[in-house]
Amino acid sequence: MLLSGLKRVGILLIGVLLATSSYAVTVQDSKGTFTIEETPQRIVVLEFSFADALASVGVKPIGIADDKDKSRVLPEVRDIIGDWQSVGTRSQPSLEVIASLKPDLIIADISRHEAVYDDLKKIAPTLILPSRRETYEDNLKAAAIIGKAVGKESEMQARLAQHETIMSDFASKLPNNALVQFAVARADDLFLHTDDSYAGGVISRLGLQMPKTERDDTASRQTSLEQLLAVNPEYLIVGHYTQPSIIEKWQSEPLWSVLQAASNEHIYSVNPNIWARCRGVMAAEHMAQDLVNIFTEQ
Amino acid sequence: MNTPIKSLSLGILLCMGLVLLSWWNLFAWSVVPVTGLDVWHAVTAFDSQVIAQRIVIDLRLPRLLTALLVGAALAAAGTIMQGLTRNPLAAPSVLGVNAGAALGMALVSTLPAFYGAFSTSIAAMLGGGLAWLLVMLLGSAWRMGGNDQGRLVLAGVAISALCAALTKAVVIMEEDQAAGVMTWLAGSLADARWQSWSTFWPVALVGLIGALLLTPALNLLQLGEDNARNLGINLLRSKLLGSLLVLILVGATISTVGSIGFVGLIVPHIARLLMGQDFRLFLPVAMLLGAGLVTLADTLSRAITYPMETPAGAILALIGAPFFIYLVRKRTL
Amino acid sequence: MNASRFFPLGLALLLILSIANLVFGAVSLSLEQVWQGLSVGSEQHFTVYEYRLPRIFLAILVGAGLALSGALVQGVIRNPLASPDVLGVSHGAGLAAVFYMTYFAGASTDWLPEVALAGGLVAALILWWLCGAQSSAIKLAITGVALAAFWASCIDFLMLTKPLEINNALLWLTGSLWGRGWTQLQALLPWFLLVPVALGLSKYLNLLDLGDDSATSLGVSPQVLRLVSLAIAVALTAACVSICGPIGFLGLVAPHLTRKLVGGRHQALLPATMLTGACLLLAADLAARTIDPPIELPAGILTAIIGAPYFLWLLLRMK
Repeated sequence: MLLSGLKRVGILLIGVLLATSSYAVTVQDSKGTFTIEETPQRIVVLEFSFADALASVGVKPIGIADDKDKSRVLPEVRDIIGDWQSVGTRSQPSLEVIASLKPDLIIADISRHEAVYDDLKKIAPTLILPSRRETYEDNLKAAAIIGKAVGKESEMQARLAQHETIMSDFASKLPNNALVQFAVARADDLFLHTDDSYAGGVISRLGLQMPKTERDDTASRQTSLEQLLAVNPEYLIVGHYTQPSIIEKWQSEPLWSVLQAASNEHIYSVNPNIWARCRGVMAAEHMAQDLVNIFTEQ
Repeated sequence: MNTPIKSLSLGILLCMGLVLLSWWNLFAWSVVPVTGLDVWHAVTAFDSQVIAQRIVIDLRLPRLLTALLVGAALAAAGTIMQGLTRNPLAAPSVLGVNAGAALGMALVSTLPAFYGAFSTSIAAMLGGGLAWLLVMLLGSAWRMGGNDQGRLVLAGVAISALCAALTKAVVIMEEDQAAGVMTWLAGSLADARWQSWSTFWPVALVGLIGALLLTPALNLLQLGEDNARNLGINLLRSKLLGSLLVLILVGATISTVGSIGFVGLIVPHIARLLMGQDFRLFLPVAMLLGAGLVTLADTLSRAITYPMETPAGAILALIGAPFFIYLVRKRTL
Repeated sequence: MNASRFFPLGLALLLILSIANLVFGAVSLSLEQVWQGLSVGSEQHFTVYEYRLPRIFLAILVGAGLALSGALVQGVIRNPLASPDVLGVSHGAGLAAVFYMTYFAGASTDWLPEVALAGGLVAALILWWLCGAQSSAIKLAITGVALAAFWASCIDFLMLTKPLEINNALLWLTGSLWGRGWTQLQALLPWFLLVPVALGLSKYLNLLDLGDDSATSLGVSPQVLRLVSLAIAVALTAACVSICGPIGFLGLVAPHLTRKLVGGRHQALLPATMLTGACLLLAADLAARTIDPPIELPAGILTAIIGAPYFLWLLLRMK
């Protein structure tokens, strides 16, 4: 007891010493070199994937741009970070609220927040990384950078290594080369997430195959029933944003049964928020778990 | 100048062109390979084991028929509008009907308070009807005396802008819905099926027949308000009937395929160029041309971003807007 | 209400709204905190000085600029339904911006205002080229409408073929003051040198109201007057839109509202319209930030929601 207590104090002391001595960490972000002088304690993140990266090394952000809907953050992430202050929408976060939180690090998304990058820098050091439209590999790279910037480089490396084993473990439970397609459905439209998308990257990482389409320059594409027939996946994983969605409409059509996935009853629904919005180390593991559940239940 | 023989041969030529275009539409730019021969087999000797043939019968054929009828309906609506208002620039999209319908549709599909209150198609019809009513009131188009063409168009633009601004406001709040609503707003035939066809064709057909029956009255209206009255036609009745027909035609179209613009503007002008001023002659030709134009746009909609689809309405707008500019320039206002 | 009472009241309202904009927001401050925030090093310095203050100035300038353009266009075209929108300037700017956003998705957003400005000016030049100097005002307006429809259909086409960018594009197209600061204010300011020129025209614009003949008889060329007024309207609109995106209805509603309050004489109408426009946009932006904090609505939505029904009511009464 006493010993472990002493040990903890010792580690803390070393931590404090390290922090007060020249801590300065330098990483490469989307705008060049980013240097932070002290270990950040009050972090505001403007995308879900950044919250995921922080939570996977036990760091709790104080503010998240969560579209004012806490349920959009991955449940596993919520369990770790507890409560936070919402700073508005991801597309137009409120800079006043961010400033009022007095952060010492802001993590922003290059595609959404480049226009306010200069303003954010006036509030606090700002790490700007790709998030929206990122691939699975991009996301892991961003997580490694975030780990380094918040002074948890070794923890993050360990967590990423653990992630690799978890994913490989999941992959071993999944059949090789099954053709899996993820799509999100609304009342009147269906969007396929292709190879380039985040979900596509996770599916490939798990040793499953994505159906090849002739043109893959967009990560998400609207699809008619006819085009879905051309893609014809063995497994169709659907995130329904609305219920009933277009899938129910299509099910009543005679051509629907021509789909492999439909005739073999290999159509499954998942949480669209986790599959299409969250992105991140833990989100990928959640998605992998979903897939393993799907494949073992059948 | 227009001898019956000439008109007849023109009609036959148009019909032949339309048949060829339709055949092309049934197989061109398919993601699942479909050939022209498949189309022939599907129509003559259907074999449900061949996927290409099932695609032709289950997906392409309803889509083609819808495209044809949508084109005819919109062309007829545009012709009636131009006849009623004696304004060459009148058309559903110019006079705010499309924008109003879009607003109605956006309201019911994104605001929780409106969920399930109406179906999207009824909301679209209500919205379109209201917007048009407002434009006609503002543009004082009911009073036939003043031939104030600019005023009517400006009223249409103002109401369209109003509806579009509110639509944008509604859509922007629901980030995930935006792409879907935008596609609907542009009007696409990709989701036309036998089911939607079965509710669409009776209504559209009634509208089209009504439009043909209205042509003598439209002819008289062109002589001016007083002359028409002297010739014994009931002005109020003709106008109300005409407006009702426009609403039926446009409403049926919008609720089936979304808001497709500019067909009603372009086609009557080309038809008039070919056939002269007699509504009895040029309305049928306008219907044929409209059907052809929408079918062509639908075929192109699969080609432009193959293998993805671009909504046919977006393509029609790209063709239609320059024509609108041309029309405005040609006229001395 | 006459002009002598309108201006003091309007200025007072402007001041109150400005202070309200400084005080209220996602985080409300006391007047004392606001005062302290103006000096460097205070806790609220960013919120007050870097964020709210430039935004207030921008709202005033953009509101005034768009409203003045609206009054000029309505004065020249002599149709109450006209607005800078009918010249196709904002749609042209929008098309350029959306094109830039979709085809140069990786490029820096810093260039967006310049691209939009160029788009707006080119759109105006194309309108000019199509119409020439001799066309009537109403023909100009209708041609502008047709051109605007063309630009709009191009925007839709771009957004539909590149659906991933749809949201950024829609946000820009709605018009917002979010994230705009001192830099944008500096870019906008030189364009307001045109305002004194516009005010100088007011006397002649009154003559135009009496008809082209009376203007000519008094030694003013109506064609030149129209050209200069419209050019100023185009330049101001393009500059404002390039910074904040096309903020709807301001150019249409503000002149109407003002005309009801101070009458149609341009000497009073033009400056009064600027005041009204500034107040409207300040109010809209205040509402946009405080309705549902921390969510920031685009101010353009608010001006549309307030402006559209008012405009409708006006139109119905105008008959």
